[in-house]
Amino acid sequence: MMLQSEDLIKSFGGVTAINHLSLTVEKGSVFGIIGPNGSGKTTFFNLVTGVYPVDSGRVIFNGKNITGLRPHHIAELGIGRTFQIPAPFTKMTVLENVMVSAFIRTSSLREARTMAREILERVRLEDKANQEVANVTLEDRKRLELARALGTQPSLLLLDEVMAGLTPAEVKASIELIRSLRTQELTIIVVEHIMDVILSLCDRIAVLDYGQKIAEDVPDKIINNPDVIKAYLGERYSARH
Amino acid sequence: MDVQADQAAGAAQAQAITGSSSWRFAPLGVLIIIVLILPWLASPLWIRIATEVLMWAGLAQSWNIIGGYTGYLSFGHGAFFGLGAYVTGIAMVHLKLPFGLGLVFSGILASLLGAIIGYPTLRLRGAYFAIATWAFGEMMRQIATILDVTGGAFGMQLPAFLNLPFFYYVMLGVTALTYLTTHFLLERARFGYKLLAIRENEEAAEMIGVDTVTIKMQAFALSAFFPGVLGGIYAYWVTYIHPDSVLKADVTDFMVVMAFLGGIGSLWGPFFGAVVVQLVQRILWLVWGEGTFYLVIIGAAICAVVLFIPNGLVGLMEARFFSPREGLSRLKKKIKW
Repeated sequence: MMLQSEDLIKSFGGVTAINHLSLTVEKGSVFGIIGPNGSGKTTFFNLVTGVYPVDSGRVIFNGKNITGLRPHHIAELGIGRTFQIPAPFTKMTVLENVMVSAFIRTSSLREARTMAREILERVRLEDKANQEVANVTLEDRKRLELARALGTQPSLLLLDEVMAGLTPAEVKASIELIRSLRTQELTIIVVEHIMDVILSLCDRIAVLDYGQKIAEDVPDKIINNPDVIKAYLGERYSARH
Repeated sequence: MDVQADQAAGAAQAQAITGSSSWRFAPLGVLIIIVLILPWLASPLWIRIATEVLMWAGLAQSWNIIGGYTGYLSFGHGAFFGLGAYVTGIAMVHLKLPFGLGLVFSGILASLLGAIIGYPTLRLRGAYFAIATWAFGEMMRQIATILDVTGGAFGMQLPAFLNLPFFYYVMLGVTALTYLTTHFLLERARFGYKLLAIRENEEAAEMIGVDTVTIKMQAFALSAFFPGVLGGIYAYWVTYIHPDSVLKADVTDFMVVMAFLGGIGSLWGPFFGAVVVQLVQRILWLVWGEGTFYLVIIGAAICAVVLFIPNGLVGLMEARFFSPREGLSRLKKKIKW
């Protein structure tokens, strides 16, 4: 068991973004989280990584209670995360961006550079290494986002819509890329809107609606689940079919 | 056609420059020798001016650590200079301690105060941080004005030591230390990368393991240390300090202006900024007598820098001398006549 959330609650003013959410992610698996806009997917990531404090509940990572720790500390323990909207260090080169994350494991400039280069090769960004981020495309920024998360050498990777805004061809390449990352040592949680992506990547999928888990199952069963169809396509649609 | 010819010429020039790489450092060597033997070459007036230039070069670089590299625009940095001046003054006058020990206290106390002030203020960003630090600077001036130990508004007289070369070399040493620290700790080490990451995107930096709260405080304490020491040297050099000399908002303003003019976030930017501003100021003063006209020129220069060369003088030089092709095309894009 890699990550476990126990009865998480988080509200912003009157809105309960996460409502009694309990999830368990097995080690070495790819776990998908889907749900309509505003269903709490990104908030869940923000709770796990310590961006927001939880109202109540616990987050257990690798058997350790990480609730309330600061984000840099959680990164150090081994959770890497990408942002939905790429948040690169614009005035640094692609390589330097990844070096900053590698510095979490080493203080040597040379080692950080070597580690960063290896990761850029893994995400196929090596020929952009010395370009300033201000000059690279959205697809490359999304890859850099991934590279930077990998740079911290995580054992759990949280991917927040890494494919939004990409062309179908780019999406296909990204799916291959994520599949290639998966190992017994790297557990992945994917938040994504594109159904094809989720269905082809994940071992298990949880569906969120208004901050609550309304279903959790293997991909084949999830797409036929009436609650899921209702949440996604509306009451009337599900009544008609 | 025109562009192609330019590019070809640029490429040839670039090759000529990189081809003779060992000669690139020759001007630097000459400069270092001149700087080291300057007190034997120059008149007392010019030794004074050079000492001043060095002091401002060090101050501008100190500001650059937090303002340029970390992206937190401090508008209260003059307070650390003033604190340093008073600490050395108090150490020498009231505690009868030697000058060197006074400087050590100045640096440490300024650094400590930086950490204390940084702890709450570094949670603010942009204009809010600027306002908070500016208020801190004003507060320090008021405190120096009401205390007895500082001599209040009348100021403080230090023991006189009239030895220009001595102050020139001490100032040179501390300013050199400022630049060496910046080079080795910010340009060539993990710490510097973390600062840049904070400047570029603090949330993302935290997410990939940068302890932003601690790193920012360390940067602020470091950037307060050198002004503290330089303030101590200044106090002993000019022998008389008062709140309106060492704690005036001008001190901060000049640090900021010099860093911006030369190019913030770069190693040599603050140095060139300090040289240009101080020399313009002094030369105009020598030609026309005491005046504030230089402020007009500096103001115009700042406008020009912000509009045409946001990377400052250093950015312009890098673009023109080290990559002429890129520099020319960038300049052409910037200046559409």
